[in-house]
Amino acid sequence: MKIVYVELDRCIACLSCQQACQMQQAAKGNGDHAGIYVNVDMDRRQIFTGTCLQCETPRCMEVCPIDALTRDAATGAIVVAKDLCFGCGLCVDACPFGYMRLDDDIFKAVKCDLCNGNPVCVQVCMAEALHFGNIEQLSQKKRQHPGLRLGLRALPKTEDSDL
Amino acid sequence: MNAVTTIENGVVKTLCRMCSNRCSIAVHIQQGHMQDVTPLSGNPINRGRMCPRGKASLDVFYHSDRIRKPLKRQPDGSFVEISREQALDEIAQKMLDIKDCWGARSLGMWKGEAVGFLQQEEYPRRFAHAFGTPNYFSNDSACFNGRFLGHHLVTGFWNPFPYYAEADLILLFGTNPPVCHPPFMAEFADAKAHGANLVVIDPRLNPVACYADIFAQPLPGTDGALAWGLIRYLVNAGEYDHTTVEQYSLGFEAVVEYAQKFTPEFVENETGVFAHVVVDIARLIIQNRPKVSFYMGAGLEHHDNGVDNIRAMVVLSCLTGGLDIACGLGWPENMPRNKLTLYDQLPLETEKPIGADLFPALYDIRKECHSMTAMEYMLGKGEYPLKGLIITGANPAVTNPNTTKVEEALKSLDLLVVNDLFMTQTARLAHYVLPAASFLERSEIHIDPKHQRVYLTNKVVDVPGIKDEYMLWHDLALRLGFGERYFPWENETQVNAYILEPSGITLEELKTHPEGIQYSPLTFQKHLSRPLPTPSGKLEFSSAYLEKLGYAAIPKYVRPYHLRHRSKAYPLLLTTGARKTLFYHSRHQNLKNFRKLHPEAKVEIHPEDAAKLGIENGDQVRIVSDIGELTVAANIVHKAELRRGVVEMYHGWEEWRINFTTFDQVNDPISGFPLLKGVPVRIEKV
Repeated sequence: MKIVYVELDRCIACLSCQQACQMQQAAKGNGDHAGIYVNVDMDRRQIFTGTCLQCETPRCMEVCPIDALTRDAATGAIVVAKDLCFGCGLCVDACPFGYMRLDDDIFKAVKCDLCNGNPVCVQVCMAEALHFGNIEQLSQKKRQHPGLRLGLRALPKTEDSDL
Repeated sequence: MNAVTTIENGVVKTLCRMCSNRCSIAVHIQQGHMQDVTPLSGNPINRGRMCPRGKASLDVFYHSDRIRKPLKRQPDGSFVEISREQALDEIAQKMLDIKDCWGARSLGMWKGEAVGFLQQEEYPRRFAHAFGTPNYFSNDSACFNGRFLGHHLVTGFWNPFPYYAEADLILLFGTNPPVCHPPFMAEFADAKAHGANLVVIDPRLNPVACYADIFAQPLPGTDGALAWGLIRYLVNAGEYDHTTVEQYSLGFEAVVEYAQKFTPEFVENETGVFAHVVVDIARLIIQNRPKVSFYMGAGLEHHDNGVDNIRAMVVLSCLTGGLDIACGLGWPENMPRNKLTLYDQLPLETEKPIGADLFPALYDIRKECHSMTAMEYMLGKGEYPLKGLIITGANPAVTNPNTTKVEEALKSLDLLVVNDLFMTQTARLAHYVLPAASFLERSEIHIDPKHQRVYLTNKVVDVPGIKDEYMLWHDLALRLGFGERYFPWENETQVNAYILEPSGITLEELKTHPEGIQYSPLTFQKHLSRPLPTPSGKLEFSSAYLEKLGYAAIPKYVRPYHLRHRSKAYPLLLTTGARKTLFYHSRHQNLKNFRKLHPEAKVEIHPEDAAKLGIENGDQVRIVSDIGELTVAANIVHKAELRRGVVEMYHGWEEWRINFTTFDQVNDPISGFPLLKGVPVRIEKV
């Protein structure tokens, strides 16, 4: 099973993934929402980017009253059947990560569909923060750069520094 | 569109030219129709990725607004389609008329970024000299040349792109690399992964600053003071590269002496960056030298003191010991190649190139005329009149400062020819508009000095009736009588072969390597074995060349225009040109997908400034400067995003031209660059 994984340490919030996804979704008639979100918190100066994890036990799929959400046999992505979905929004409430949205223009649930196995967000991630691969490979990736995560890059201290 | 792809089905590998970064791409073709563009791996620049701009290449190619036939303006201002033969015949005749009446130098050639560099730049340079005029203009007079001169005057070369991944400290000044140089991002992330620090200095907080260890927000145009403050700290602490200074540089004593007044407190007072932050940055440099990367963006050059600010930064970079190391000031080896320019065979210095008297270094080093002064010549205020212009892939009616004057000047011409893909603001003023070929319709050579690689782009598609850049100059030259002598090649491919001849690399080899070929191995520390390419052969902290031209020998800090001319009438500072992810200068605004994400122009303003003026988000406001005004919507940004008192607006909007308010006559004394990033303005609610 392949998913899109965000290596947060590498994301510089260029917004390319979100913009390219939004254009791709619009071209497919899936409304105006991207399936990947880049969040820049200006107060904390933090960047958070995330997208659907295509969960093994997908809450969204479980709560859908009309089985409009199914797992695509070829890609393993959870996809919305546009002709069935009537926009009740239960899946939006059920997703524990917030990666399911309702599009106001088409009144349907929208989400990452892994672009038939060649996600455009990954193609346009020039920071190489997004990876498309199987979960085992990606968990290896996550264990890389431990030094960075342990905060080994300290700034030199000055007496009156309040940085 | 009647387009014929070079293959019916399959993939053509080439380089993207939606911007200037040279990413390798694959164009997928099905039944003669281009379907998709995907990134290619193997090219160290894009490493198997690309950006959304490149993804939209086909939207540009197939755009319904593309100019397909030559257009001629009628007396009533409308355009009618004419044949290419007729257009070129008439243009050639008018050029000869101007030459007979006013002399060849009354015609100019102007190349824009949209066309490209290397041969695309050398065609008009060659054509101009073959015709007899020294007047070659380009987009470089408002982007790139300032930084080129700033580096070149100290080191004798400029390689804009260090190997960031190998640095322990990266300092970015006035730039937003994720947007203007997307390939840098992976290198920053690689550097961070091995623990490098990142320092971002910019009046505007771009998301890359969230990624930084130190972010400082100086007043626009004061970077020189900061550079001198850092120099002072390093030299007083004795923490500089002694070998570089003692064996390979000139003017260190003068630098030490001049630096003394730039105490952290002085720098704070001048730049608005806290003294302790200046000290922190200096200590970071000391801790990490020599593995320090400096990158100065266009933010530094668009000032009336830009070149000297950049020179001071380069001096600082040399002091860290960064001369010709991978992550420092790399000295690129050039590929041996045939140049198309005629500066040796047909020099025209005596013909008074426009602006060469005012900005001698610009003409001497870059062989480039000054496009702001050209407007004066067009309006009859120069030493001789400029009566005709051939513009290709440039849009000065949007991107040059003082739009009112630019329009007036362009309208006054006897002959204005514009070669472009779309009906730009500049094309609308033309007598003749010619359909240009997009990058997918061209085959050209690119050189990447950082990786020392050479690339050949493969032609993907042909549109009957639309000719590439070479054929434009070639066909005009034939009509003007110097075609056989100076444009003897039948097509672009023959030119490519000629350019490559001395390199030992053949076109066939390049064709089979869409990811490029390294033309010479990377070597560093070359200054140990041969003199630097400066007049003295050493690093010129103090430049005898500039001194002879009447400038200060060392890059002394001059307070920027806005600090010298404070006025109650214009209390705010306008900086223009923070890049947008999807647009490229004035290009791509007509793509529906892109436009949805950037629907209209907005001036960014600090919430406190907005509150003082009673402005709410989305209100229409008037930006007024000493020379013009513009009405746009206000975008109140987060309080950290801009320095208080600074407003920012994108420079490339076709409908909302901020250059109505920017000055064309306040120029950097060395490069002649216009002041685009520190214009005193006031903002009024409409």
